[in-house]
Amino acid sequence: MPTTRKAFAKDGALATAIQGFAPREAQIQMAEAVEQAIAKKGQLVVEAGTGTGKTFAYLVPSLLSGKKVILSTGTKNLQEQLYHRDLPLVKKALAMGGKTQLLKGRANYLCIHRLAQHGGNSTLVDKTVLHELTLVREWASSTKTGDMGELRSLPEDARVLPFVTSTVDNCLGKDCPNYEDCYLVKARRNAMDADLVVVNHHLFFADMALKDTGFGELIPEADVIVFDEAHQIPEIASEYFGEALSSRQLQDLATDMDLVYRTSLKDAQQLSKVAEKLKMIAMDLRLLFPETPQRGNWREQLLRDEVDAQVQKLKETLELVYEVLKLHLGRDKDLDNLYERAAEARSKLNKLTDKDKLGISLWYETTPRHIVLHLTPLSIAGRFAEMIAEPRRSWIFTSATLLVGDGFEHFTRRLGLNDAATLALDSPFDYPSQAILCVPRYLPEPSAFTMKATLADIAVKLINASKGRCFLLFTSHAMMNDIAAMLPERITNPILVQGTTSKRALLEAYMDDGDAVLLGTGAFWEGVDVRGEHLVCVLIDKLPFASPDDPLLQARIEDCRKRGGNPFAQIQIPQAVITLKQGAGRLIRDASDKGVLVICDNRLVTRDYGKTFISSLPDMRRTRTLDEALAFLEHISQESSEP
Amino acid sequence: MAEVIFYLLDEEQNDAQPAPLALACRLAAQAYRSKQACLVLCEDKQQAEAVDELLWQLPVDAFVPHNLTGEGPPKGTPVEIAWQGSSRSNKPVLINLASQLPEGHQRFKRIFDFVPADDQQKQQARERYKQYRGAGHQLDTRPANSIEEN
Repeated sequence: MPTTRKAFAKDGALATAIQGFAPREAQIQMAEAVEQAIAKKGQLVVEAGTGTGKTFAYLVPSLLSGKKVILSTGTKNLQEQLYHRDLPLVKKALAMGGKTQLLKGRANYLCIHRLAQHGGNSTLVDKTVLHELTLVREWASSTKTGDMGELRSLPEDARVLPFVTSTVDNCLGKDCPNYEDCYLVKARRNAMDADLVVVNHHLFFADMALKDTGFGELIPEADVIVFDEAHQIPEIASEYFGEALSSRQLQDLATDMDLVYRTSLKDAQQLSKVAEKLKMIAMDLRLLFPETPQRGNWREQLLRDEVDAQVQKLKETLELVYEVLKLHLGRDKDLDNLYERAAEARSKLNKLTDKDKLGISLWYETTPRHIVLHLTPLSIAGRFAEMIAEPRRSWIFTSATLLVGDGFEHFTRRLGLNDAATLALDSPFDYPSQAILCVPRYLPEPSAFTMKATLADIAVKLINASKGRCFLLFTSHAMMNDIAAMLPERITNPILVQGTTSKRALLEAYMDDGDAVLLGTGAFWEGVDVRGEHLVCVLIDKLPFASPDDPLLQARIEDCRKRGGNPFAQIQIPQAVITLKQGAGRLIRDASDKGVLVICDNRLVTRDYGKTFISSLPDMRRTRTLDEALAFLEHISQESSEP
Repeated sequence: MAEVIFYLLDEEQNDAQPAPLALACRLAAQAYRSKQACLVLCEDKQQAEAVDELLWQLPVDAFVPHNLTGEGPPKGTPVEIAWQGSSRSNKPVLINLASQLPEGHQRFKRIFDFVPADDQQKQQARERYKQYRGAGHQLDTRPANSIEEN
């Protein structure tokens, strides 16, 4: 069996089998570090700059180790890329057999039971949904995997999806009449048998925190766990180590109770009545909050008399629901499941209304129609460290953005990774000649009212110089929409704005147009890979500090202060640095890419902490002269228009 | 009364930059590191922007937070770059790149100035030297290479 170094050698397995593969020292270094961590059952944290080739660097030693491996990445898209593109390539090059499996979250698999429920007695009336249901039914008779992603004719956010997939809440588990044919169960069984499983972080942590029963067997079996896009882990892990309950969940519970009454327990009208009451009271809680969606401190809200009174009503009603369901226990599988859900909701609501518990943040968020209550632990370091200590196995965390300045502490501290080996690998790109970082002069202060007009002016100049081919990345929806409204009368390029259609559709349109401008917030700062001359300019409106109004952030800041720490340096700056690195990382994706990054926030120049940001970004040539950046863009445009 | 230090430059260029500008940046970096707020006063806006550019391009280890007059936070930054006629805030240290004796020179604790290698500029520097002395400041001259490298 070839060793990792041999596989990466000039005449090695990868170079022989993969066209255009050239060995790179940084990549080999990472692969060997991963190999060692696997051999020693160690913990390894690696930042690998864009272009290092980190995917191969963890795939090769993982496959060669012959151990059972779980690979977890950030999104479904990345999962598919890894599973359908990179993994087959490396497997073939190494001539490794080995079973591999792609495992997605529950919501991606067709639920045969739910589909049948919406058969003859369907309570669905909406025409679009009924049409989508027909599509699903046709496809259901032929699919082998039940992966909804196969059904390309269905929009990503099709409204039928919740009716034909299951949730942890409504899944009957082993009691389901369709258990043996269940696609989710099959996918999980395959995953259990596989040598290498590709999952995503949400799925991984749902399993780790035992938030999704029936899957808990997978992780204990694994010898090696690799997290790509590992910078997302602290946030996602915190979420899963906490609790959440939404008015939507309660409404769904009520709807499903009504469905049981209408389809099977037709004598139990009481079910329908208490369900109706639950729905009303949950909605009334939402009505105590302003119409516009917001986030806030739930502990404080509980001090409001009307909120407290409504919560008491909700508790009483849930109790009633619970008692009614209990009366009919054993008569129907779906009802038995509803009973468990009601019990669970009851216990969650108690935890979410316990004002005196320490070490957690209680917060809420509202959507146009619903309210979600959250309990999030302020620190997961202890729990996480405990979970990865026993049994001993290999844990590898990698991402292009883990370092803040030259330290990993803000990452390792949050996860309690005190003994992890760390490795920082520079990108092989020649940033000083490939890219310019410009912070224009005489910008208004970031929160000044005049910033909007200034941003629009700069954007127009950039778009003209780069002939479109720009991403304008924003830290707020409000600013994005304002600029989106100002641009059409000043430029003729196609303007694509996040939120008008799906991310995938926007990116496809962007690539097709060739001279478009894309305006995005959060979702476009990460995981977008546009190589070559399609993207030559990225504008960022502001340093991406998290909103200080965020209740969870406030709680963390308060906690840090109580411990004598400096929350700005320890929490807010690292978070903003990682986000900025992600956004900036959209620009140069390849050794031949060129481009300009413009950050319209003079705090990079005027504040002490500018140093931390600059030292964390790739080593681009810096200027404050916008004209120089424009000239560079014009130069690139000329180059690319030459034959 | 200020302590006025004139640096004698024997080259017109330093690190491929006009020598006074390059040295002004070094002095500004030194002042920042010793927690002394300073004002860099330039001949005109164009020169001020050139100094801004040089400071911004310093190696990241030598990062110096700064602002041009007309930008930056209300409280100011450790290094303000101004030009003749632009408003400026109170700082104890002045680094002078302007050809004329700066207005309000009495209020600084310490002033750095330059005697460039260029003949015409040298002449202007002599003129300033006399005027500083006439105003009663305490004067000193030093070779340019006595400024530490960043």
